[in-house]
Amino acid sequence: MAIDARHVSKSFANYVALRDVDLHVEQSELIALLGPSGSGKTTLLRIIAGLDTPDPNPQTSVVVDGQDILDRRGSERRVGFVFQHYALFRHMTVFENIAFGLRVRPRKLRPSEPELRRKVNELLDLIQLGRWSTHYPSQLSGGQRQRVALARALAIEPSVLLLDEPFGALDAKVRQELRRWLRTLHAKIAVTSVLVTHDQEEALEVADRIVIMNQGRIEQTGTPDEVFHNPASEFVVTFLGHVNLFHGRVEAGQPVLSPEANGHTTRVFVRPHELDIERYQSSGASVAASIHRIQSAGPIVRVELTSHQNESITVEMTHERYRDLTIKTGETVYVKVRDVRVFVASK
Amino acid sequence: MAITSRHRHTEPVWMRNLFIAAAVIFVGLLILLPVISVFTEAFRKGFAFYLTSISDPLAMSALRLTVITAAVTLAANLVFGLAASWLIAKFSFPGRNLLLSLIDLPFAVSPVISGLVFVLLFGAQGWFGNSLSSRGIQVIFATPGVILATIFVTFPFIARELIPLMQEQGAEEEEAAVLLGANGWQTFRRVTLPNIRWALVYGVVLANARAMGEFGAVSVVSGHIRGRTNTLPLHVEILYNEYNFSAAFAVASLLALLALVTLVAKAALEWRIRVEERPAVMEDVV
Repeated sequence: MAIDARHVSKSFANYVALRDVDLHVEQSELIALLGPSGSGKTTLLRIIAGLDTPDPNPQTSVVVDGQDILDRRGSERRVGFVFQHYALFRHMTVFENIAFGLRVRPRKLRPSEPELRRKVNELLDLIQLGRWSTHYPSQLSGGQRQRVALARALAIEPSVLLLDEPFGALDAKVRQELRRWLRTLHAKIAVTSVLVTHDQEEALEVADRIVIMNQGRIEQTGTPDEVFHNPASEFVVTFLGHVNLFHGRVEAGQPVLSPEANGHTTRVFVRPHELDIERYQSSGASVAASIHRIQSAGPIVRVELTSHQNESITVEMTHERYRDLTIKTGETVYVKVRDVRVFVASK
Repeated sequence: MAITSRHRHTEPVWMRNLFIAAAVIFVGLLILLPVISVFTEAFRKGFAFYLTSISDPLAMSALRLTVITAAVTLAANLVFGLAASWLIAKFSFPGRNLLLSLIDLPFAVSPVISGLVFVLLFGAQGWFGNSLSSRGIQVIFATPGVILATIFVTFPFIARELIPLMQEQGAEEEEAAVLLGANGWQTFRRVTLPNIRWALVYGVVLANARAMGEFGAVSVVSGHIRGRTNTLPLHVEILYNEYNFSAAFAVASLLALLALVTLVAKAALEWRIRVEERPAVMEDVV
C-alpha cells in the first residue's frame, strides 16, 4: 500500500533532524532512504512507524493506503518494523518470537492455535529456519536473527514494511547474501517497503527507487540509474561512491580538466571509471599527472595519481586497458575524460 | 568439569597455604563464629527454654510485626522501584539525574537520621503531627511509622538492581512489541517483566533481608512499646539490656534463620541465572 508523507519536520533539543520533508512510496515498491548518519533518514522511518512524533504542524500528514495514520498509536498502525540490532525477544524461542504479533491480538481477532502454528511454520519455511524454531535468539547467528526479525514483522501481515539499517550489524559476506535474499523475497511478497541505509552500494543494488537525504532534507529521488548517472547535486555525486574533483572549466559544452588561462575555475566531478590515461597529450582537455600507486589485485585496476596542480586523482580501468598502456609507478601521463556524463557544479 | 586451576602456580606451597589459612581464619572469626555463637547461646539453657523464649507472646508479636512490616515494605518498594526504574531507564526527561540521586539518598544518610526525619514530620510536635492526631491517626510510636521508616531505608535496593539492567537492555524490544500490536500491559507483562524478572527477585531478596533486620531507623520511630511496636531486632535489644541473654539469643536465632532462608533463596537464584545465561552456542553458523 502506498505511503504518502507530507510536510514532516522534526527537531530534537539540540538539532533539527527533518526539515519539511515529503516522501512518496508507490504500492509494492521497495524504496531506500540513503544518507550519512544524522541526515534524518531513521527519524523519518520512526515517524512513519509511530515510534517518534513529528513537530506539530496542521499541514503534516502521513497517509498509508489512503488513511492518515498520524493520530494512530504505533500498536494500531500495522507496520512491520525491522531493527538494526534485531530487537528479538530474548526470552522467547524463534517460534514464539514470530507468533508474538498474533498472540497479542484482541481475542476476537486472534487465530486459533492450529491456525497460528500453520502460519508461523509457513513463515519459518519462508526464512528457511524451520529446524531452528525451538532455539533462542542467543543461539542464532546475526544473519539468522535478522531473518527471524523479518518473519516476525511479516506475521502481522503489515501494510508496509520498514527496515532500519537491517544489515548494518552483519559482516560483509552475510550482508551480500541477505541483500539478495531480501530482493527475491520482495519480488515474491511485494509488500511496500522502506529500507534505511547509509551504504550506497546496498541502496543501488536492492532498491527500486532511492531517496538521498542530507541534513534533514531530500537531495534527490530517482531510480538507481537516475541518481547514479544524473546526480542532482554535488552532495549526491560525492555520496554515491568515490569521485574525483577537478578545478577545471567548460568549453563548448565539454568539461575540461584544467583551469582557464585567467585562473577562473569550475568544479568538475568525474568518477574513476569515467577517466582514461594516455601516454601523450592528444588534446588540451587532458591534464598531466604522475602515477604514485597502481593497485591491480581485483576485478579492475585502480591507478592513483597526483596532477601538476597537486590534485589527487583516481582512475579505474580494465586489466586489458592496463596491459595495453604498460604504465609504471613514477611515470608522468595524461588524464582525460572518457565519458561526457560528468557532473559540473553550477556557479 | 574437574575443579582444577587454569593457572600454573608460581608461588611456593607454604605461601599458598599461609594465604589460605589467613582467609579461613578471617572468615571463621568474623562471619562463622558469630553465627555459631548465636545458636549456642540460644540453646545454652536447653531446648525447652529456647521454645518458651521464642513462643513468648511478646516475641511472637515482634515476629508478627517484623513479617507484616517486611511484606508491606516489599509490596510498596516493588511498585515504586519498578516505576522509578522504568522511568529512569527507558525515558530521558529533565530532573532524571536528580531522581537518580534521590533514590540513592537512603543509602547515603544514617538510618538514625532517617528515623528522626519521620519523627520531625509526623511526631506529636512535628509538621503534620497536629493534623494527624486530630483525625485520630498515629504514625510515630505505631505500626505506620515502623513501616514508613523501613520503606525509606530499603527504597534503593530494587531500583538499584533494575536500573543498570534496564538501561543495558534498552527500549528496542518494547518498541518491537508495540509495533507488533501489543498494548501497554501486554508489553510490560510479556516483554519487560520476563527480561528483568531475576534482577527483580534478587532486589526483593536483598530488600527483604534489610527490611527484617533494620534497627536504627525503626528504633527511633517505634518507641519500643512491647507487644505493639517492637520488631524482632528491637525485641532482641530489650531482652539483652535486661540481662536476659539466653532469651535474647533465642529470638536473635529467629532473625538469623530468616536471614539464612534469604541467603538460600539468593543462592538458588544465582544458580538459576547462571543456568539461563549460559553462553550462546553456534555463534558462527550463518
